[in-house]
Amino acid sequence: MPTIEVSIKDLEKLLGINIDVNKLKEEGILFVKGEIEEIEDDTMKIDIKDTNRPDLWSAEGIARELRGHYKIEEGMPKFQIKKSGLSVLVDKKVEKVRPKTVCAVVKNLKLDDEAIKQMIQLQEKVCQTYGRNRDFAAIGVYDYDKIKGPIKYTTFKPRELKFVPLGFTEEMYLDEILSKHPKGEEYGYLLKNQKEYPIFIDSVGNVLSMPPIINSNYTGRVDCNTKNVFIEVSGHKLNHISVALNIMVTALKERGGEIYSVDVKYGGKNITTPNLSPKKAEVNIENCRKILGIDITGEEMIKLLRQARFNAKNNGRVIEVEYMPYRNDIMDERDIIEEVAISFGYNDIEPEEPKIYTRGKELEIEHMSDKFREICIGLGLQEILTFTLTSKENILNKMRVSGNIVEIANPISSNWNVFRNSLIPGGLSFLSDNKHVEYPQKIFEIGNIVKIDEKEETKTKDLRYLSVLLTDIATGYENISSILNSIMKNLGIKYSLEEENDKRFIDGRCSSIVVNNEKIGTMGEVHPEVLENFEIEKPVAGLEMNIEKLLP
Amino acid sequence: MYELTGEGKKYLEKGLPEIVLLKEIEKENEIKELKKKFPNFNIALQWAKKNKWIKIDKGKVILVKKPSRYDISESLKRISKGEDIEKEQRDILLKRGLIKEIRESIEKKAKEFIGKEITNLDPSLIKTGMWRKVKFKKYNVKATGKPLYPGKIHPYQKFILNVRRKLIELGFKEMTGPTIETEFWNFDALFQPQNHPARDWTDTYSLKNPEYGELPDKKIVEAVKKSHEKSWNYMWDEKKAKKLMPRAHDTAISPRYLSRGVEVPGKYFSLVRCYRPDVVDTSHLIEFNQLGGFVIGEDMTLKNLLGMLKMFATEFGKAKEIKFFPDYYPFTEPSVQISIKNKNLGWVELAGAGIFRRELTEPLGINVPVIAWGIGLDRLAMFALEINDIRELFTNDLKWLRNSKVL
Repeated sequence: MPTIEVSIKDLEKLLGINIDVNKLKEEGILFVKGEIEEIEDDTMKIDIKDTNRPDLWSAEGIARELRGHYKIEEGMPKFQIKKSGLSVLVDKKVEKVRPKTVCAVVKNLKLDDEAIKQMIQLQEKVCQTYGRNRDFAAIGVYDYDKIKGPIKYTTFKPRELKFVPLGFTEEMYLDEILSKHPKGEEYGYLLKNQKEYPIFIDSVGNVLSMPPIINSNYTGRVDCNTKNVFIEVSGHKLNHISVALNIMVTALKERGGEIYSVDVKYGGKNITTPNLSPKKAEVNIENCRKILGIDITGEEMIKLLRQARFNAKNNGRVIEVEYMPYRNDIMDERDIIEEVAISFGYNDIEPEEPKIYTRGKELEIEHMSDKFREICIGLGLQEILTFTLTSKENILNKMRVSGNIVEIANPISSNWNVFRNSLIPGGLSFLSDNKHVEYPQKIFEIGNIVKIDEKEETKTKDLRYLSVLLTDIATGYENISSILNSIMKNLGIKYSLEEENDKRFIDGRCSSIVVNNEKIGTMGEVHPEVLENFEIEKPVAGLEMNIEKLLP
Repeated sequence: MYELTGEGKKYLEKGLPEIVLLKEIEKENEIKELKKKFPNFNIALQWAKKNKWIKIDKGKVILVKKPSRYDISESLKRISKGEDIEKEQRDILLKRGLIKEIRESIEKKAKEFIGKEITNLDPSLIKTGMWRKVKFKKYNVKATGKPLYPGKIHPYQKFILNVRRKLIELGFKEMTGPTIETEFWNFDALFQPQNHPARDWTDTYSLKNPEYGELPDKKIVEAVKKSHEKSWNYMWDEKKAKKLMPRAHDTAISPRYLSRGVEVPGKYFSLVRCYRPDVVDTSHLIEFNQLGGFVIGEDMTLKNLLGMLKMFATEFGKAKEIKFFPDYYPFTEPSVQISIKNKNLGWVELAGAGIFRRELTEPLGINVPVIAWGIGLDRLAMFALEINDIRELFTNDLKWLRNSKVL
């Protein structure tokens, strides 16, 4: 889902080989479920479709994966972790606000502009999509050389502490940051109703950040001169934020950095992060063959999985695999089977239609609709097709009626904020749009309307309706009534007409259509005020009815 | 041309016997008595009965309803004025001996054309054989005729009907579901976690009125909840699942059918409108048609899925070149996208597909592979109708509709 920007030269550097961009577009990028949407000079815009693979949302992650498929480096990537000796003390006070953090240090970085760009992009995408707009996970990266450990993760009252937020020059109180800093305005809601705000602060009183809002301008500024960084991820669940931390440190490792662990102390319980010990899973060889439909041996599976950066070994009927814990997407054997298929190449599998004999059958209502359609066309009516989404204005106000209708909570336009409960307004809009087209105009529509129905599971019900509208210099009740007569006669449906009061039509020129003692529709000459509302200047006679009621 | 016979003239003046009878029975309705008084009683009775104005009960004539207007009387009047009447009426009057053809008038009329160059071939010329004595004016037959506007099916509707027919031919059974769905069927039953980017896979509309629907059978709800909590590691919220929304994708229909029980092996499809709050432009609508479905069977494989997609590409997309791309959907694994080569646009996405995850099928009581697919029908229709702007599919342009080719 996220679209990321990657420099071709940078990707080549990370891969260690030259790239044929066309080949990458046609083949290579498929290995990371990517689609190159645009190439401009050196920059590619890549849509990474998998929302469950945040580890692929940067040039570093893509390069690591492609090295496997290009057979430059296969199997599970190896990462060494040294001890930094740094501690982060987690104060009990954060429990109510933002309870968890995991941290790491990465040293000996040589970051160029592109590396900085990638780091920021990865941080943003992970926080936004994976971290639910910083709620589930927010990442902070700091200049480690400006920090004196141990670091404290605690809370302060809004007016108890001042610091200079990133991009600003003056010290601000915490509540001022929330109301005045652009990031405070954007993410402040995440700290709404809190009496104290979370703060990372070092042993000499330098503020690192107020997560998940903003870093300090002093420690939280990272550029090409930064050699060593401290990274923290804050959120609500350890397993969730650990994935984000793993993604960040392993990406920086691709830039030549060395990963160092941090001791995060939760009162009595200490954890050492990052934890990059492999995860384990199994896949049954026969299941893999059965799902993919290809004849493949265990050894071939192992080869393909190693290209997808898994460690794999054959253990009789199953393949045992190991993979890096930044992978968040493996829940079932199927997830590993898909890796085999992708490595194998979808386009190298010979497609084969399912050989199953079944009897086709259309819905009764579609069959019924077709009969009505056939007669309407025979009567010289033009079929129209309109949206089921429409405006309240059109279906209520303009029609001189009120009613309980199905309404959208988040419309993008007032033209489309309700579902139609009648086909007539859509037909009238159509006629209104065609005032300058040759008359007579005779139209019909067959489509679903949606009505509120408390008895239904969804509190609404779809009904299949037919509408017919006629307009000309002189047209009226008689004309539409003979159309109805022909439709019903040709379908062998007995009906009667009863006088009806309906504000949409002229009084005394409106009837209800009755079949088997039940009203199924309305017919009449459209009221001149309705015509005025739709800016129609010629008389319109019309009908609509529920044809679902006529199903045998 | 026709004129009234003597009898016709009499009835014009005094009224047709069946009309007279209706007046008569107000005073006297015993058949025995009426027969005595009324010379044309049998004719009157026959027609009044045929018109369902009266019925006979115990030797009496009983009024059923009085006609407000009687076509035969009207026709008699019109003939007397020298007007023409419909054939059906003319035949009745001829059969009742109330009118006759004016032979002389026909000949008189035909004679006027003799030796002349005529435009219309008058019926009098054919009847009298005098067409032999006239010249026919030559027309400019090369001029094209004035256009008429026949009643026509909407071109997009026609396309949709063709697709539906094709699927039925291929052995698929049609499914449908409500336009307004619960999030349960649109998302939860499809294994899309409630608070996770996977649910943003598509941005969706929600409803202001009505807001909440009901959940299905407890057994299914419990199984879905368990599957979510186990795999996605969060607390599943029943209330969120009850929220109503316009169906965002066609796939919302499949779990309903799977949970109700389907034929195994079986093939199913649905073709419905779906809704997403997009910015409307040349390639996006907020309301669009999706075609989707599944094939269920013990031996279904990815290979079969690719085979089916390839067939769709040939049948619906007239594609010569196709290509498969690995893809991601929260509810399928493996997942695949098929694209077809369009001569103007290059690779164009045709369908998304995959094998339903076990985390989805097992809570619904299904333990065999289900290969599922979804096609954006609007894009395909644009190719077929040679349209470049998606908005034209639902155009209000009557001129365009009148001039569109029949598919």
